[in-house]
Amino acid sequence: MSAHENEEKMILDVKDLHASVEGSPILNGMNLSLKPGEVHAIMGPNGSGKSTFANVLAGREDYTVEKGSVRYRDLDLLDLDPEERACEGIFLAFQYPVSIPGISNAYFLRSALNAVRRYKEEPEVDAVDFLQLVRSKMELVGMDEKLLQRSVNDGFSGGEKKRNEILQMAVLDPKLAILDETDSGLDIDALRIVAEGVNALRGGDRSFIVVTHYQRLLDYIVPDHVHVLSEGQIVRSGDKTLAHELEREGYSWLESGHAAEKSQEAS
Amino acid sequence: MSTGTVDHWNPNLEEQCSGLHAACESLEARRKHGLNQFLEAGFPGRKDEEWRYTPLRSVAEGEYSSKLSVEGQLPGDDELATSSDIRLVLINGRFREDLSDLTALPDTVKVVGLSRSLETSADSVVTDLNRWIPLVDHPFQNIGDALLEDGLVITAEGNVDARIHIVHGQDGSESAGSSHVSGLIRLSGGAQLEVLEEFRSRGKSLANIRWGMEIGSGCEFRRQRIVRPGCDVLYHGTRVELGEKAVFRDLIAGSGARLVRNEIHAILAGPGGHVDLLGGYVSNGDEIVDHHTTIEHAVADCTSREIYRGVLGGDSRGAFTGMIHVHQDAQRTDAEQSNDAILLSRSAEMNTRPRLEIYADDVKCTHGATVGELDDDSIFYLRSRGVSLEEARRMLVRAFTAEVFEELENEALKEQFIEQLQEAMPTAVDLRQ
Repeated sequence: MSAHENEEKMILDVKDLHASVEGSPILNGMNLSLKPGEVHAIMGPNGSGKSTFANVLAGREDYTVEKGSVRYRDLDLLDLDPEERACEGIFLAFQYPVSIPGISNAYFLRSALNAVRRYKEEPEVDAVDFLQLVRSKMELVGMDEKLLQRSVNDGFSGGEKKRNEILQMAVLDPKLAILDETDSGLDIDALRIVAEGVNALRGGDRSFIVVTHYQRLLDYIVPDHVHVLSEGQIVRSGDKTLAHELEREGYSWLESGHAAEKSQEAS
Repeated sequence: MSTGTVDHWNPNLEEQCSGLHAACESLEARRKHGLNQFLEAGFPGRKDEEWRYTPLRSVAEGEYSSKLSVEGQLPGDDELATSSDIRLVLINGRFREDLSDLTALPDTVKVVGLSRSLETSADSVVTDLNRWIPLVDHPFQNIGDALLEDGLVITAEGNVDARIHIVHGQDGSESAGSSHVSGLIRLSGGAQLEVLEEFRSRGKSLANIRWGMEIGSGCEFRRQRIVRPGCDVLYHGTRVELGEKAVFRDLIAGSGARLVRNEIHAILAGPGGHVDLLGGYVSNGDEIVDHHTTIEHAVADCTSREIYRGVLGGDSRGAFTGMIHVHQDAQRTDAEQSNDAILLSRSAEMNTRPRLEIYADDVKCTHGATVGELDDDSIFYLRSRGVSLEEARRMLVRAFTAEVFEELENEALKEQFIEQLQEAMPTAVDLRQ
């Protein structure tokens, strides 16, 4: 394979993706291509399908893929179980991280890391090496070490939960990270810390999909491309200035735009 | 229940009862009372509300009506981390001093076999039994009274903090039968005592064990019970009375027993007392686990907490009946009760019956019960981090029961409890299909 081909190779190629939940269509022909190392923001009003898209990529079974394809590196992503996707380098930072009483954060993280390592046929990490690794990553996201011994997200504040997501990302070292409304429920200080954590993980071949309603997060995590999602389709794409435009104009133009399109179709 | 099923029990009991050494009249009277009660009432059937979820048919059929042999061997291995040198062994209902180790016993703690104290001071022992294990009409208590012979008398007094490991060994490998243990535990003068009660069994056997306890003012009694896999039928009854600012912390864990009936009657009789009843279990096959508790808040300013958690697979059945009785004078009672179960198969069953009887007006009583399956969101969360579906289920089930043991200070023991339950876990994935 030539260097040129390698450069052009997509890490993610979504084609005409249709997905529904309990019979109602949410994604209606989504197209998106990411090159390695790129950061794409997906914006859009509530109900436009942003979170659905993020969750479909991670393999949540509540959604049914009706049509289309998702190519991830050399793999047919839709063929893989959620855990296989994770092991292949996909990471979803949850909008609402689940709390799991009774499982310590440390045990959870080590189980996850070792599951990924087993998949890659790498030796498992023992408790001592793990602690060393996780400590360095905790520094990155400014997380209190005490949270390691606490149950996963149990009694964590909103900011702690989101930081915990970024910590998991740092430990699992994914190739494609999807941030699902990571800014929701965060004050500006927490937002900055989380964004700094993400920025520290940028670089190299790691790609990001940043799903957000507000432009605010994109001041800190500056995207290469911005896409606007409406009614399950990308209706506009641009560079980072598009986010600022949206910030000024809101999403109301979408409604009128779509209405215009629809009336054209009807005529 | 039809008299036909007790046909085996009645003659056997009469014969065994009359063969016992009558140390004193009051002992004789107690045995007679138990025998007559049993002859009259036998075993309750399924229509009896108190026994609705503990089917006794197999017990009533008489397989267990003979006493287990004196010759039995201690089944299983000594593998529990107990951090205790004081070890009391009972085999087939007999206290075996020869197998026990009392050398580390502090002067302030006394341990005597019940049969020995019946030899030396029958009258006062029977008086104590009558006080702390009052007569009740109850099939296992009746049998226990009819065959009252051995058990343990433990007293702790004053400034002492000791830990005792009690092993109940049931050996029904030669022939099926039952054993009957009556025990007294009395703490006074601020004593602190911790007991690990372990149940090990081989073959067909019925262990009939009951305790009467007095936890005097300012005393604390902590008990952990572990039902090891392989137990057949276990009836375990506890009646405990707490004085002022006395504390009783109980924990029962178990798996792999055919039928477990755990009864606790706790009476908070002095202000400032606290009762903690915790339980965690895993059941499979056609096992039955029935926790039956009564907490009586008899006076003001006491607190109680109950948490029982079960994971049920196969055709197994769990039951929880929890009565909280708040007397009229028991103002400012704070009672908390929860019972949660996870069903891993469609044919497993859980029955929960909270019962609240509240006669005081300034009271905080909460109870909650959940029966469910593993949480899909939690499973997806774990899988999205690379953990396999099967491993995710295992982790969640482990977490669910492990929470009950969280406060156990002995880390090694805690780990063993969690491990035993983990090992008993049905392979959820197979069962769901």
